[in-house]
Amino acid sequence: MTSSPIRVLIADDQQMVRQGFTVLLNTKPDIDVIGQAVDGLDAVAQVAELAPDVVLMDIRMPELGGIEATRRITTATPHIKVLVLTTFDLDEYVYEALRAGASGFLLKDASVDQLAEAVRVVAAGDALLAPGITRRLISEFSRLDNRPRAPLKDRVGDLTERETEVLALIAQGLSNAEIAERLVVAEQTVKTHVGRILVKLGLRDRTQAAVFAYESGLVRPSGY
Amino acid sequence: MPKVDGVTETGTQRPLVGRVRRWLRVLRDDLWTVRADPLPPSTWLRWLPHGVLCLVAFGVTVGAVAQLNDNGGAGLQVAFAIGLAQGGAVVLALWRPVPGWWLSMGAMVAGAVEVRRHLLAGVVHDFTWPWTSAGIIGQMAVLLLLSLRVRTRVSVATLALTVLVTYIIQGLWGAGGYVPTGVLATILSAVVVVLGVALRGRREARAELVEQTTLTAEERARRTLLEERSRIARELHDVVAHHMSVISIQAQVAPHLVENPPEELKENLDGIRQNALEALTELRRVLGVLRSEHPEGADALDEPGTGAAPHTPQPTLDRLDALVDNTRAAGLDVVVEVNGERKPLPPGVELSAYRIVQEALSNALRHAPGATARVGLRHTPFGLSVQVVNSRPTHPAPPSPGVGHGLLGMRERVAMLDGSMTAHPLPDGGFKVMAFLPATPDATVPDAAAADTKAPGPAAAGPAAPDGAARTANNPKKDTA
Repeated sequence: MTSSPIRVLIADDQQMVRQGFTVLLNTKPDIDVIGQAVDGLDAVAQVAELAPDVVLMDIRMPELGGIEATRRITTATPHIKVLVLTTFDLDEYVYEALRAGASGFLLKDASVDQLAEAVRVVAAGDALLAPGITRRLISEFSRLDNRPRAPLKDRVGDLTERETEVLALIAQGLSNAEIAERLVVAEQTVKTHVGRILVKLGLRDRTQAAVFAYESGLVRPSGY
Repeated sequence: MPKVDGVTETGTQRPLVGRVRRWLRVLRDDLWTVRADPLPPSTWLRWLPHGVLCLVAFGVTVGAVAQLNDNGGAGLQVAFAIGLAQGGAVVLALWRPVPGWWLSMGAMVAGAVEVRRHLLAGVVHDFTWPWTSAGIIGQMAVLLLLSLRVRTRVSVATLALTVLVTYIIQGLWGAGGYVPTGVLATILSAVVVVLGVALRGRREARAELVEQTTLTAEERARRTLLEERSRIARELHDVVAHHMSVISIQAQVAPHLVENPPEELKENLDGIRQNALEALTELRRVLGVLRSEHPEGADALDEPGTGAAPHTPQPTLDRLDALVDNTRAAGLDVVVEVNGERKPLPPGVELSAYRIVQEALSNALRHAPGATARVGLRHTPFGLSVQVVNSRPTHPAPPSPGVGHGLLGMRERVAMLDGSMTAHPLPDGGFKVMAFLPATPDATVPDAAAADTKAPGPAAAGPAAPDGAARTANNPKKDTA
């Protein structure tokens, strides 16, 4: 991973936070903060202009909130990953953000190392960020969420048995390497499976796959 | 001119005719009418049942005396005493049902014993015995009064004793040459007791229902209060948590801002960060509790239609314009007037002021359709005075639940900030909410007042706000006139 640094855009309505994260992330050689946005609209505009790899997105912003901004960004440019910044982790708005297309979320008070690691994981896309908490979040709020989701179940039927198995493991927060170990296959095979699952289900990353797994009822929210 | 006419000879006639006409018109207006004018409820009507029963008692007394004396052969004094006791039993039962019953029973037994003597002696024939007809009526009245008020068990016991005594006298003891009334008395008593018990049961059930309804209303009010408190607490914790996380970020960033930070500085900043993190952990715990108790309700006025309200930061007065715009878009005419020099206020005050205005406007939207609302903010050296007045609604508001809910929340917020608040309807049909929020809990710091001489208006402590507010309160009336 000694290629070009990960290009990051920071969107937060507070200047202190923007500058703070910029200073912290710029201490890491493999991460490059290329811009700052002051609200959701600004973020959408700057993403279109700068095409960063990862957007650090505050949820609560004036003008356009982080969730809607995330939705716009991930719809327009699916390859750009959004990492949501939040004061509270187990929060329905974080769940909303994940549904809107965010690849993960991070507490604002995370240490610089956690912050950098989260950016790397989200950029690489081969593991779920903060698996335990993400799983809990998704399982907790997918249960409360009673929006219609009828077509989901049918789409599970498109998956092979192996792929369904892999999807369930993704939903449990396992990384590709862990899944490979569990199923006694090569990591490359898992990667292939994950890729096929995402294509078949029309999902953009494994976070979305995890949300899907819970919402479709493939994984039951229990046992944590 | 007409006055001059009145002095002339012919003029004296005309006022007379005019007066008669006027009188006739008045008379017609008075009498030719179908205007409804119901009898107002009066206190003395409450005593109507008592009056009726006293009449019954009088009838029982007279009837019993006549029966016992004329047909029963009893002496006048004895007959009078027994008749008076039977009638008195009815009156007594109005206030003390069980003693009334005892009296009625005693009088009946005394009468039966007295008449039995004459029956056995053969002096009297065909007398209704052991109950006289007056005695049956009296006993029925007493049993009804009793069963309407005492427990069913007592009613049944008195009925059973009535039947038992009747049976002992008529069935076991007996006499000769009488017309038996025991069965009739038993049947009538039973009917009256059943009726009384049933009526009492219904009345009790209704009273219980009323009591339960009252309890439910109280319970609801209490729950509403608690919900409001937890909502307020959540918002404030939210603000604090937000500041805390910024502190933690800054403490982490600070050492990167200097070339070679000394070890002590790094340690200190690390300590700040650790403390902030600990505080955040605690705050999250508290907020978790507060959230799980009451899921976030959408604030209708924040971002109408999008439901995106919670994705914006906790509001301050900066967002007042957006709020007012949204309210206008929702159909309420709003005028905003800001007085005094704006100074930075504590986040809690800003948030509360915003929420008070929001709630008041939301109430006006709901309860005063077509009205004009006037929002007045007045910054004083001691704090912020908030006033929202709406004019009379142009048409009646649709009934909506949760009236007073918003006011409760406002009061809670104001009380929390050591402020004061009034909310009341105006004589012209409008409504006025007024709150004063001190800038600091200790609002009467003289230094602060002296330092800030630019603020207009009297610099005389708290009353400055209500004074200023009262002045603007009159304006909406002018607007709507």
